[in-house]
Amino acid sequence: MKLSPDQKLDISDVLKDLDRYRPRRRGWSWRSKLKEHKVGSFIYYDASEDLDHSVPLPAAQAFDDIDPQCDMMITTEIASGRFEDDLRRMRMAAWHGADHIMVIRTTGQSHFDGLIEGTPEGIGGIPVTRKQLRATRKALDAIEDEVGRPINFHSYVSGLAGPEMAVLFAEEGVNGAHQDPQYNVLYRDINMHRSFVDAAEAKCILGDGGILQLDGAHNANATAKQAWKVTPELLVQHAVNTGYSRAVGMPPDLIALSTVPPTAPPAPKLRLDLPYAVALRDLFQGYRFRAQQNTRYMESDTEEATVTHVLDTLISRLTSADIQSTITPDEGRNIPWHYNNVAGVNAARQVLMGVDGLKQMIDLKQDGPLSEQAREIKERAVLFLEEILEGGGYYAAVEAGQFVDQGYYPERKGDGIVRDAAGGDGAASVLAREADYGAPVCSHFGHNVYATETGKPCDQYGGCSLCDSGKIQYIDELDAEDNVDKRLAQPLAERARGVLRPEVEKHGDGVVCVTLFVPERPQLAEAAALEMARYMGLDKPEVINRRLMHPAEGSVFEIKGTLAVAVSIDALPVEEKQALLGDDEIEAWVRGRDIHLVAATVGEDEHSVGLHEILDIKHGGIERYGFHCHDLGTSVSVEQLLDVAEQAGASAILASIIVTHADVHMKHMRRLHALARQRGLRRRLVLVVGGTRITDKLARECGMDAGFGHGTTGRNVASFLVRKLRDMNLS
Amino acid sequence: MSGMEREDDFQARRARLRKLSDQELYDKFWSLVDKIVAPLIEEACSHTTPSIERSVLLRMGFSSLECRDLVARMQERGLLGHGAGRLVLELSTLKGISTREAGAALLEGRYWEELPL
Repeated sequence: MKLSPDQKLDISDVLKDLDRYRPRRRGWSWRSKLKEHKVGSFIYYDASEDLDHSVPLPAAQAFDDIDPQCDMMITTEIASGRFEDDLRRMRMAAWHGADHIMVIRTTGQSHFDGLIEGTPEGIGGIPVTRKQLRATRKALDAIEDEVGRPINFHSYVSGLAGPEMAVLFAEEGVNGAHQDPQYNVLYRDINMHRSFVDAAEAKCILGDGGILQLDGAHNANATAKQAWKVTPELLVQHAVNTGYSRAVGMPPDLIALSTVPPTAPPAPKLRLDLPYAVALRDLFQGYRFRAQQNTRYMESDTEEATVTHVLDTLISRLTSADIQSTITPDEGRNIPWHYNNVAGVNAARQVLMGVDGLKQMIDLKQDGPLSEQAREIKERAVLFLEEILEGGGYYAAVEAGQFVDQGYYPERKGDGIVRDAAGGDGAASVLAREADYGAPVCSHFGHNVYATETGKPCDQYGGCSLCDSGKIQYIDELDAEDNVDKRLAQPLAERARGVLRPEVEKHGDGVVCVTLFVPERPQLAEAAALEMARYMGLDKPEVINRRLMHPAEGSVFEIKGTLAVAVSIDALPVEEKQALLGDDEIEAWVRGRDIHLVAATVGEDEHSVGLHEILDIKHGGIERYGFHCHDLGTSVSVEQLLDVAEQAGASAILASIIVTHADVHMKHMRRLHALARQRGLRRRLVLVVGGTRITDKLARECGMDAGFGHGTTGRNVASFLVRKLRDMNLS
Repeated sequence: MSGMEREDDFQARRARLRKLSDQELYDKFWSLVDKIVAPLIEEACSHTTPSIERSVLLRMGFSSLECRDLVARMQERGLLGHGAGRLVLELSTLKGISTREAGAALLEGRYWEELPL
């Protein structure tokens, strides 16, 4: 399957022949880091290989459209409920720099004692099944070819079916997984004996499969009311999972700690979060760090969330991280919308490119409050570990409510999570292995009569599925109604008919978001805002964010609603786009004709970047075709332009114009046209304008021959000029 | 609610930790962790669960539905402690059939009395 940047991902193509699909690689892939990497005009010191296809950051348009890539991997979490919609979201995120795709499971899968098959729809995530994993990995193969960088696919090996899920992940080429028995115990109330016994088997399979493991400690700060007070316990939770994984035999470079800076402004975030980040990295040298962004204090305001996430990412750079996870800025108010996955990814890469090389200039102080507080957190963690042992070990400590207590340990508030070692989901399902216990398969943990010094335990019957993928039994669908084919029937039919609807989450869901400011006191303003949304034709309008500007002067609201309108593509006015002439054809016509052009930025405007990109040979501008360019610079008057054009016998004027309030840009264009005509130059002088918000239509309405907007290259302009001048020569 | 409440007496408790160097504190941290983990690992070495047994059969080439049914029936008969994979493999050897055929026979209700234990 091959993707083309101008074609949509074809879901039918993804679903074809899945029974025969095999993953082309196994285990985790890191980015190729580069210590000194030149991109455009800059050298980057914390960078990785460039992409073949991407969407650069918005400001890149002022920097030759460069898109440098940071050294950390970037995670985006995907939770739509339908994997077929997730695939498009993954492709969009990958174009913005995400290379770790974490798929959230549907609510309740943790408590499902076994594997799910087929493609049923989920809630808040998808049911992870073999078919869904195959389809996703297959699509990601094509997406990673398109962007030019390996993409890691990740989901969860927790709940009651951890060992089976781990086998499934190893077989199907899943690259990363959450695996932490403490998560089962504390947050899912799954029996603790069951969780730890299952975890050893699962970790053994993940480790042998090269699958990167993330732990679940960060959930404690998502749960605690005062998240900065659970920091000693976070060190303990990381340590229990890390120590357990090591004891199972997992290599340290596959053990990643999932860590979150615990606080958010207005708390003095860096003063609280940095000592913890330092303490963690001191104690866990040699392991990997997946830095997550804070969700605990996220409200519905996406801008506020983004600023907190920027600070989180700064902490990653000031300390260290192998993976920078991102949280969509709208997670505090709804299941993330796909374009907010992109927003989250962009915030992280914008920060990481912006702070490139920072550690060459600044160090964290080794003395003073930072190291003193880091030491204190470590000592508190040691005391926590001592109490676990004094109380009779891990299980007894959980029974005694030692975990997720709101006190700053050794302070105890008495509100910790309490679990019964003999209770919980899956209680009494752990059984002792008999002396003749055997498991004739690879990656099996513990006592096993088939484990021998030589050969594999599976040799006797020709190899297990981890050695011979031909043994895997593929099940397509079990539910004739709840499956991807049924769900796709309508969207595919609409696509075939050329019908478009807006969407934020699922194909054509019709959801839109409008922003309204209403100049009244909050309650009245909100009622008015909803009423206005109804007037706009939005069905079921709902306020998803409200921000007070002033108690009496007004509030601003973001309102979501459904727009029950489908637009037919055939009915849309689309500008005819002429194919560009080839470079050779342009140059062949221009060279030897001695064509002069006069260029400048017109009016009171000091911007010259865009014009340089069109003109300069080094930016691939039109000089390279052999045009003689007279660049008059910035803040040039229309009169000056025409004076020089007349003196030089120029064939064309290229004017860069910024779109302003009061329509000054339109006046400039009309004046240029009128003056050229007055001076008798207009018939032989081509007038071209450009600027980020200029359109061809607007330029022509103001008397110009052509207008070029954002994204224009020298070839676009040269192609137009050659066609136009050829026509004029003929006439 | 655990009911266990305690004031923050960190300053008193830390007295004996303060004299440790950073390296000594690091070593103490990990030695405590190892002690906590050891009994958990011991239990994992010597015990199994239905999910582990289904994961073994999955690796032996059975579908998730077959794994579910085979393990449930073995559990009903109190046989799971021998290992689901072992039961299937040894039956296939005894009967001179493939492991998949052995599993299929058990699912059809055959050979349960002949399982080599």
